[in-house]
Amino acid sequence: MRPIRIALTKGRLEKSTIALFKKMGLDCTELENKGRRLILPIPGTPFEVVLAKAADVITYIEHGVCDVGVVGKDTIMEYGGSFFEIADLGIGRCRFALACKKGEDFYSGYAEKTIATKYPNVSRQFFEKKGMDVRIVKIEGSVELAPLLGLSDAIVDIVETGTTLRENGLAVIEDVAQVTARVIVNTVSMKLSKVEIEKLIADLERVLP
Amino acid sequence: MLKNQLITPEGTKDYLFEEAAVREEAETLLHTLFKARGFSEVITPGLEFLDVFSVKGHSIPIEYMYKLSDYKGRLMVLRPDSTMPIARLCATRLRAEQMPLRLFYNQTVYSQNRTLSGRSDEVKQAGVELLGAAGLRADLEMTSLAAQALQRCRQKNFRIEIGHIGIFNALVSSLGLDDAVREQLRLYIEAKNYPAVNDLLDTFGGHEAKVLKRLPRLFGGDGVFPEAEMLLKGTDAEEPLSYLRTLYLKLNEAGLGSCVTVDLGIVNRTDYYTGIVFKGYIEGHGEEVLFGGRYDRLIGRYGEETPAIGFAVNVDAVARALLRNEGAPSRMPQTLVFAETGCEIAALHELDRMIIQGTTAEFATMETLEDALHYARAKGIDTIAYVTVNGVFLRSAKEGF
Repeated sequence: MRPIRIALTKGRLEKSTIALFKKMGLDCTELENKGRRLILPIPGTPFEVVLAKAADVITYIEHGVCDVGVVGKDTIMEYGGSFFEIADLGIGRCRFALACKKGEDFYSGYAEKTIATKYPNVSRQFFEKKGMDVRIVKIEGSVELAPLLGLSDAIVDIVETGTTLRENGLAVIEDVAQVTARVIVNTVSMKLSKVEIEKLIADLERVLP
Repeated sequence: MLKNQLITPEGTKDYLFEEAAVREEAETLLHTLFKARGFSEVITPGLEFLDVFSVKGHSIPIEYMYKLSDYKGRLMVLRPDSTMPIARLCATRLRAEQMPLRLFYNQTVYSQNRTLSGRSDEVKQAGVELLGAAGLRADLEMTSLAAQALQRCRQKNFRIEIGHIGIFNALVSSLGLDDAVREQLRLYIEAKNYPAVNDLLDTFGGHEAKVLKRLPRLFGGDGVFPEAEMLLKGTDAEEPLSYLRTLYLKLNEAGLGSCVTVDLGIVNRTDYYTGIVFKGYIEGHGEEVLFGGRYDRLIGRYGEETPAIGFAVNVDAVARALLRNEGAPSRMPQTLVFAETGCEIAALHELDRMIIQGTTAEFATMETLEDALHYARAKGIDTIAYVTVNGVFLRSAKEGF
């Protein structure tokens, strides 16, 4: 059998997850000296780590080529998929929010509103629940630009401190959802490697801040 | 040339040589087993009316089906599932048959998957249905047959996991949730989303809510039952649990202990299944390769209520595993039969003779012995049979004459 593969979301979440691994007493030397390698062993354990972009973590888990993944709830909400979502690590905390130009009344009037976002599915579900028809435009980069340039009435985006919004004259109207890092597991791996995976999760939960 | 002339639609593919060969192998292994166990084959149409799959409480979501319309504008679908057409058959043409009835099928099902998901829209499924039989004997027959099916397909490290839909249903009905919340809870339990299950149930007091929180974590081997029994004592879920345990012990008695596990948190399609549910897993495939369960209310949607249980095997997934574990079966014939001019008929007779003896042989269409030898070497055919008026000469293709 191949090692149990843990897919980590590259970037900030990768760093905070590795910090947890260290607290658990795992040997993270390979992870810290990774160079450009994307698959890294954790010596002395049945695990190896795979580094991937958030949405790809979900894809690799769904197809069962990775077994355990650490990924933000934002990505899970946007991409969905069938896997087990077994733990909330509470790290990487932020929120989805609806924001528009400061001082504007987003909900006023009957005109159709346009929403710019990197998360079209999250946005659609949010407005569907409200029974509100909106036009959604997918933006890839700095979403804050869209209302400033007059493309959209508001944005749905991840907000951590709110500084970017403030500096660009935008303000939060409403929270859409809270976001934290989650542990997801392939449905077959969970059954075939139950002991190893449950122990890993229990150890992880023990060192949570 | 037209834009789509050279490609196949996303989610479909051409099966070439060894892929086709291992798929046929898996199909043969399965239907040989099913036939030997008294199941008879049925073939249902690839095209059916949408209505067949839209029965109340059991419908397949419309967005997952390939839809077309007939000349009257009625909506048709490419068969998304084989059990519902069989339920239709059971309530109509088979209604006067002696029950129980054992049927098997081996046919393609179609589903529309999310684009770029890498999934197949076209999947070959082989499955069995036992109609008109309720109770432990029927459930035992079908769950042990499921294990045998994966065994026969030479899957070494496979797992059959059993659960009982009645456990969730009994616990949740005592909470008196409205449909939307109940569905949300079901989805969380299905996804083993422990934190969300806890959050949702925190607003409810009572023993049942406490038990439901533990439910998705109750999976594995023997060890599951003592805790489950303690937790479920005094609830309406006690009875389905004790039934599940009896079945589990019987399967152990049948020598399947090492490959059968339980998961009390299997809650998929709670409106469809009515009792035992089970799934099969093999190494190297990220989803279940076998799934089934008892569905006592489905046939009643088409006619007279009839208890039934069945399962389907994803033949494509099993075939891929065979290919991965055992390598590609050889597809080259052992011998190339070449005729000297004028001896073509004698060569065809020689070919037939070889085939009867169990050799695989191919008739050479080349005009010269040299060309035939060249072809045999290029293709990797071992032996050449040279048919002349003076008799048949066998040589290794490498050495030649």
